[in-house]
Amino acid sequence: MELGILLLIFGSDRQFRRVKAVKNTLRGRRTVSNLYWALQYGMLDFVDALHGEQFGDDQKTLTALKSQGLVDADDAFQIQLTPKGITQQQQYLNQLMPLKYLAIASKYDVAKFMQRFSFAVQIVSEYSYGNSKYYPQRIDYFEDQLLKRWFVQNKENDLPNHFHKELNDFLGDLGDDHLADTFTESLIGHHFSGLTADQIASQHQVPATIIELQWLQLYGKLLTNLLSLPKNNVFSMLTADLEKPIVSNSARETFDMFLRQGDGNLGLISKRRKIKLTTVYEHLLEAAIMAPVKGFPYQALISSDLMGQLRAHQPENVGDWNFQDASHAIPNLEFFQFRLFQIYRSKSTDED
Amino acid sequence: MKINLQSKLKKYFGFDEFRPGQEAILRHLLGNQDTLAVLPTGGGKTLLYQMYGAVTHQRVIIVSPLISLMQDQVSRLQYLGSKRVVALTSALDFQEKSIILNHLSNYQFIYVSPEMLANDQVLRRIRSLNVGLFVIDEAHCISEWGPDFRPDYLKLGKVRQLLGKPLTLMMTATATKLVRRDIIDHLDFEDGDVQQIILPVNRPNIFLAAKILPNQQEKDQTLIDLVRQLHGAGIIYFSSKSKAEQAAVALTNQTDRRVMAYHGGMDNQRRFHIQQQFMDGNLDIVCATSAFGMGIDKDDIRFVIHYHLPANIQSYVQEIGRCGRDQQPGLAILLYEPNDRYLQMNLIDNTIPEAGLLRYLYRHPKAITDDDQFRVIQYYFDNDYSLDQAAAIFDRSRQRRITELGSMVQYIYHDGCRRDELLKYFDEKLSTEDRNQNFCCDNDVDFWNHWQDFNDKYLDQQDDASKSVSRSWHEVIDQLFLSKN
Repeated sequence: MELGILLLIFGSDRQFRRVKAVKNTLRGRRTVSNLYWALQYGMLDFVDALHGEQFGDDQKTLTALKSQGLVDADDAFQIQLTPKGITQQQQYLNQLMPLKYLAIASKYDVAKFMQRFSFAVQIVSEYSYGNSKYYPQRIDYFEDQLLKRWFVQNKENDLPNHFHKELNDFLGDLGDDHLADTFTESLIGHHFSGLTADQIASQHQVPATIIELQWLQLYGKLLTNLLSLPKNNVFSMLTADLEKPIVSNSARETFDMFLRQGDGNLGLISKRRKIKLTTVYEHLLEAAIMAPVKGFPYQALISSDLMGQLRAHQPENVGDWNFQDASHAIPNLEFFQFRLFQIYRSKSTDED
Repeated sequence: MKINLQSKLKKYFGFDEFRPGQEAILRHLLGNQDTLAVLPTGGGKTLLYQMYGAVTHQRVIIVSPLISLMQDQVSRLQYLGSKRVVALTSALDFQEKSIILNHLSNYQFIYVSPEMLANDQVLRRIRSLNVGLFVIDEAHCISEWGPDFRPDYLKLGKVRQLLGKPLTLMMTATATKLVRRDIIDHLDFEDGDVQQIILPVNRPNIFLAAKILPNQQEKDQTLIDLVRQLHGAGIIYFSSKSKAEQAAVALTNQTDRRVMAYHGGMDNQRRFHIQQQFMDGNLDIVCATSAFGMGIDKDDIRFVIHYHLPANIQSYVQEIGRCGRDQQPGLAILLYEPNDRYLQMNLIDNTIPEAGLLRYLYRHPKAITDDDQFRVIQYYFDNDYSLDQAAAIFDRSRQRRITELGSMVQYIYHDGCRRDELLKYFDEKLSTEDRNQNFCCDNDVDFWNHWQDFNDKYLDQQDDASKSVSRSWHEVIDQLFLSKN
């Protein structure tokens, strides 16, 4: 995917945003620093949404965006959209479905679902014509086994009609024939070989990245539709095990232990889990960033006295508060508590 | 046991006739005779062992050198109706590999890379199965004299012993006498033990032409002129992915043909779309690297153009063999400008380690095991070849490749019959009655001044009605799912 397009879509004209943080958020690098910036940019819903995608070179992209007058950039690889950049952003957003449909890819492995569903369509399509002589799509071993099991269990259930009806409803409900056509071109089946993203892109005169994003959104929506069907429907197996964890497993373990223990003794957690104390901090920060503000016990980690001091000194935009200034004002302040406070305040404002 | 093979062919695969050589090979195998088969590309090698498996219900192990090739073959076997097929390659992760190994007896056709067979666990598991037929595909890889020597193939003689010497089929598309001798020796056969079926390399329905251009600009222009006018579907081969992509864009913009690039750097889904479009006739031309071809089942490809020359004559013959499988006239054109030679020279330099690197790796053996590209070096290191011996082997290998490239270039500059020049490498000669002066090569007739006439006369004009029309989503889903109501 073209990084330039993603930077415009996720850029702002009111805030300088780190190129690396935007990119790493989308591809799911869950470092605390990335997640923290994702929180500040309002991008938490998109963490890992473009998992496994290849993006272009940062420097080249930045130079191109600047030379086209779409962004202003500072020395720290941060960008802010110019009015021309905002116009371009709006153009891209008009070509896409609402971004909430892209956010589905942050909670579910939509790319995997896309491969599965597209393969299932090929199998059912050829089956409906009674043709067993065809080249099957390539997919990894476990997915292949899953599809075989699914097909064996469901082939007596009039799959062609189910697929036809489900797709007819889904595509009809979109209310946009253009998008519906883009979806069906992603498919392969009996005497139908579909189109690649760049073939569709050149037909529609849009960048291929836009088509790839549309596909993710469309398949995300389709997945949500299928997940809402009554249990044990013919599509159930195709939607199984696609959920992504909101926090990493190790952060979850640390957080769960912290909640169970109840005494706030982080040293003990570090000992029990055989991880460094700084790692315990990182896990808790990750949990705080990803949990709703009421779901994280901030009071257990920041005393009311310290909370009061922090509130008294915080600048208007708490996200931009730097640790050096803060520790100047509040002696003995620890970075962990400082960052936790920033998260708390940012999330409280967001969720208000 | 006299089996009616024709009726089995019809029953299992729906074909009425065998391709040349297939029936004779199957008869040898069913008579329990080890066989070496030299069949041209597209000669139906897969069908041989698939049919053997279908008729005897026995298990077939197929050793194949390239992972990408293997996945194509798995697809191809599934395409031909066998579902119990699996490939054991280094592309599997640990979990996949353990599950497949635990369930190996469920599979009738097991593809395995030679590297995997070097793994004790894998070999032990295969030894515990009954193996009806042991197939060595691309058997020329065993020969140091062949262009694609793979040290792991040298262990196959030992593997065959360990498997209890099962019935063996060795297959290759191109093998000189020397290479055939090597294959038999390395697999510990006596000369008389092995039946050899050697089909001619010559494809009389493919016209051979080559053109030397002074520079790349003129070569590009010639390519555009050809693509604009040549009738039917075609493949254009490139040595570089980026050039294949650039050319696909240029040809799309400057001709009215439907052109796409295809190479190993693309994701699976995209490659699959392009492959299907080409087979369905929704794409006229593919600008490809050598990654394209194996999985393609398209009989009516009319021309193959080489924009870059391949590394050797064997590869050239394989690649041009993809046109005219329907026995209708086909055209093979090689475009060359003198700098192209250096591109191939660079490829040789990049694939054969130079003395300094070799010396370093011998001193730091851990670096060898860390990197898959050093497999060949690892083989010599593990087998106690000294640094000097290994260096001498690589030096010979480099020299051999340079010589092979020289022969390829010589073919281009050759002013006699190109067909004779090609066949010379396979110890094959055309008999007088097989010679067709009117349809042979551009040195026999004035092709380059009259190629448009050749095009109109020999290359089938495609029916434009078959060209794809864009369809609405309603039409697509109606087409995809045939309703029984």
